[in-house]
Amino acid sequence: MPSLRALAPIALIALAAGPALAASPPAGKARTARRASRAAMVAIPAGSYRPLYGRPNDPLTVVAAFRLDRDPVTRADFLAFVRANPQWRRSAVRPLFADRNGYLADWRSDLDPSTGSGQAAGDAAALRRPVTGVSWFAARAYCAARDARLPSVAEWEYAAAASERQRDASRDAAFVQRLVSLYASRPRPLPPVGAGAANAYGVRGLHGLAWEWVDDFNSVLVSDDSRGVGGRDHDLFCASAAIGAADPTNFPAFLRYALRAGLTGRSTLETLGFRCAA
Amino acid sequence: MRPPLRTTVLLAASLLAAAGCGPSEGNAASESAVAAAPVSDFSVYDLPSTWRDQRGDTLRLAALAGHVRVVAMAYTSCEATCPLIVADLKRVEASLPAERRGDVGFVLVSLDPERDTPGRLAEWAARTGLDPARWTLLAGADDAVRELAATLDVRYQRQPDGELAHTNGLTVLDSAGAVAHRQAGLGDTEATIRVVGELLR
Repeated sequence: MPSLRALAPIALIALAAGPALAASPPAGKARTARRASRAAMVAIPAGSYRPLYGRPNDPLTVVAAFRLDRDPVTRADFLAFVRANPQWRRSAVRPLFADRNGYLADWRSDLDPSTGSGQAAGDAAALRRPVTGVSWFAARAYCAARDARLPSVAEWEYAAAASERQRDASRDAAFVQRLVSLYASRPRPLPPVGAGAANAYGVRGLHGLAWEWVDDFNSVLVSDDSRGVGGRDHDLFCASAAIGAADPTNFPAFLRYALRAGLTGRSTLETLGFRCAA
Repeated sequence: MRPPLRTTVLLAASLLAAAGCGPSEGNAASESAVAAAPVSDFSVYDLPSTWRDQRGDTLRLAALAGHVRVVAMAYTSCEATCPLIVADLKRVEASLPAERRGDVGFVLVSLDPERDTPGRLAEWAARTGLDPARWTLLAGADDAVRELAATLDVRYQRQPDGELAHTNGLTVLDSAGAVAHRQAGLGDTEATIRVVGELLR
């Protein structure tokens, strides 16, 4: 397993999440007549939290009440979506919207999400695994077809700060350490959704399954300067001085932000899935 | 292919040569193309979003097809790097021989559409000396801006104090809307100028 201490020299200088207010409207693609089946969603109450990146005097990030899928979107869910929306099938997807080398790459075919390693097509447990290898455009289109949307960075981080018992466990060193282990030992292949414990909000699988898309993933700006705030390229933006991490020991959060900073809209990763919000 | 965790983080950390607000340090990394083979195999003009230009007209991005375009994202109330973005675009414009100047369009997409109304864009364009025959300034819905930025690899975020932080750079689109060149950072337009020249041949 890669040593997380070895990652320490990579200091991420990013921006405080601005206030995340009410939901943005779903993505602009035309919806088809048939929608994917309704997923179970959890009501997350409004609140505020201190995001990983911020300046000491920044106000806490406010998150308005929203709903979040209890579980990640599954292969079965996405199969229903591509059945109803042929333009999102692997053979048809436009290069603009997804890297065609990675998009649904581990599906056996356009309409067969089984991964082909000795697995019968339509194996029910396999269909309940999180869908991965989807781009941001595809994830947005899926959520829009359900009259939903992707969660914002702020919403996702806010919901994911919860342990099983505590809503904001971001300062709980034991919880953070558990995440470190979880991230370092993700099972392959991913198990069907619903197996793990729910967090204090009732949401499952935010940690230790797939990474997840957020709507404003490209709001994360990262510098490759490991000297941090004092480095040469530290002033990435016009108005303010660069800021550092509020909690430099929170490696799981660093990893999540680092991943977002490396993505484009058409990126696909075998380890990257999503869930919807509303 | 699943990159190991460490590679993912290193990959992420080495992204984005975003220039600072001060004078450029010549830090423009570029992802360039031989004229025949575009960097991307997709067209930005496939995005279905609608926009309003500085005249108040509504258009889809596909309306920009047919000419080479140099595109950047900025906003009018940005005091520091946005003038530098415009300076780079103007430098590309000035590099064109007079008889070819009509063949290349320059597009500025506002990251601050709430404040950058068509009227404000027009007024700012006039003040900045941007020839409306060649310069298109666009404002769109937040969602459209986020989507276009995701396509052009522009990152931006509104700060608590209302300012916008954003990466700097230019994108050259061929006449079909495929990305022919990305200039990350500002100041060194040499490769951009070369690619535009190649596309015009």
